[in-house]
Amino acid sequence: MHNLATRAARFMSICGGLVLALLIVLICISVIGRSLNGLLHGWVGTALPTVSAFLLQAGVGPINGDFELVEAGVAFSIFAFLPLCQISGGHASVDIFTSKLPKRVNRFLQMLIDTVFAIVLIVVAYQLYRGMLSKQSYGDTTFLLQFPIWWAYAASLVGAAMAAVISIYVAWVRVVEYFIRQDVISDETGMGS
Amino acid sequence: MSNLEIGLASFPALLLLIFIRVPIGLAMFLVGLVGLYLVTGSFNLPLARLKSETFSTFSSYTLSIVPMFLLMGHFATLGGMSTALFKAAESFLGHRKGGIAMAAIGACAGFGSICGSSLATAATMGRVALPELRKYGYSGGFATATLAAGGTLGILIPPSVVLVIYAILTEQNIAKLFLAAFIPGILAALGYVIAISIYVRLYPDAAGIKPAVPYGERFKALFNVWPVLLVFALVVGGIYQGWFTPTEGAAVGAAGTGFIAWMNRGLTRATLVQSFHVTAKSSAMIFFIILGAGFYNGFLALTQVPQEISNFVVSQGFSPWVVLSLILVFYLVFGCLMDSLSMILLTIPIFFPVVVGLDFGMSQEHIAIWFGILVLIVVEVGLITPPVGMNLFVINAMDRKTPLVETYKVVMYFVASDIVRVIILVAFPAITLFWLRF
Repeated sequence: MHNLATRAARFMSICGGLVLALLIVLICISVIGRSLNGLLHGWVGTALPTVSAFLLQAGVGPINGDFELVEAGVAFSIFAFLPLCQISGGHASVDIFTSKLPKRVNRFLQMLIDTVFAIVLIVVAYQLYRGMLSKQSYGDTTFLLQFPIWWAYAASLVGAAMAAVISIYVAWVRVVEYFIRQDVISDETGMGS
Repeated sequence: MSNLEIGLASFPALLLLIFIRVPIGLAMFLVGLVGLYLVTGSFNLPLARLKSETFSTFSSYTLSIVPMFLLMGHFATLGGMSTALFKAAESFLGHRKGGIAMAAIGACAGFGSICGSSLATAATMGRVALPELRKYGYSGGFATATLAAGGTLGILIPPSVVLVIYAILTEQNIAKLFLAAFIPGILAALGYVIAISIYVRLYPDAAGIKPAVPYGERFKALFNVWPVLLVFALVVGGIYQGWFTPTEGAAVGAAGTGFIAWMNRGLTRATLVQSFHVTAKSSAMIFFIILGAGFYNGFLALTQVPQEISNFVVSQGFSPWVVLSLILVFYLVFGCLMDSLSMILLTIPIFFPVVVGLDFGMSQEHIAIWFGILVLIVVEVGLITPPVGMNLFVINAMDRKTPLVETYKVVMYFVASDIVRVIILVAFPAITLFWLRF
């Protein structure tokens, strides 16, 4: 079970990472295109008018609407990153005061915290879903590329839903840990790196 | 309760949650949610906000810099740039007393110029420099404290993730903040080198000496550092020159370091997957804190608490310098307990209006930038102050033989150098604002 959950979370993080890498490449192409475009309109255009005109005709320039693709893509990536953070206990917290408390109190706190976290992530995913439905019904599109905004919501929803499922699993593990008085998964080991 | 009282009551509530180990992002989110409920009388507003706010936070074009800078830092490590930097610095300094520690600081500064995160810098340079320091007889406490302090250069020297967040919160120009961070960053490295030379003078046995390296080899080692210089010049120079937006700069930097890592055979399928995992974990953590802070600050703004505090402080006619000093001391104290990003997200919406409302004889923009750099430094000191200095933990965990107390003892020399630097920068704002005059 834990293996399955960890693998699912890692898989999502790789998907998110690949999309992030794609966005990086896209931005670089856009930046190069824009600089070439500037050169072709500038001194290269004066020196080699025919070649420049040809290249400009062929569409050498910044990628239209790269800004919008980055926004949609990075939203997907961050949502896809959430499950791994959830299962590996990666959220920043202050444990200097609780570290002095008995183990059992700590397990109890952890159970409460992870249960609340699961509820919050379920609400987040559900409200994202409702947000998607309303974007869909209004037919909102992005300004330049004119793609429906709900597409980006739908992609993000995959990660958000996965984060909710993983957080339910983690909360369940904490409940078990509290009642059998034994660690099932130790905190930082969900992460193999 | 009036809205103002609800707003003020939220501070202890939030602290309580954080101190019983509720993740900081979640704590801010919950207090914001309950606060909005108390102020508006229903959950409709917070739920309606959630329909679009998670998406709009996670899809922010400016914030997309964060995962890109994180990835860039990992690629830089994979490309062997941390090793190249350390070898170069070591070949010039290693034969001096305490020289290898100074070289480690220099390499951290170099790595900080292509990495926006302290922990990543500390962890990376720790892996490279710690074995070498121990081999030449540096005491465990000295070696680990040096690297923990060096790690903070990762975020003091631009690019810096924390500065990006500050810029977004306060609507300042990222390029100008990066530029302003440059001289204080160099001063930090110099201060650490001075701390090292004082320490080896007091404890000559704590450090060994490495045989000197011939000049030919020194310059060969220096030559291997060119990718770092290239990437730094391209990213920070490009952003400042306006060739591209900060997000584009981060993308170019990530692509550049990724390419160099691939050329040096550091980037394989396995290491790429690992970079994604690490980037995923840190990015998700950061974005969840930003989400929680957005909720909490939205609630606070509704209760008017930040304005009221600002009006109160300004109307009391306190000396601006006293107010500023108190705020910085507050950060130093809380930095011992909390991580830098959470602290900035939590406190800047309250402190920023106060500080820019004070009369320091400067334009608001200059105050904003100067204050940003000062806050950046004091929250980073928190990374190396006992008991909860993340950098100390990261480095100490790499050297099992050294008790944490040993690290604590030596790191105080570096903390002292940090405090001296903060005092200098507070007293002479012109140092921070030097480049902005052009």
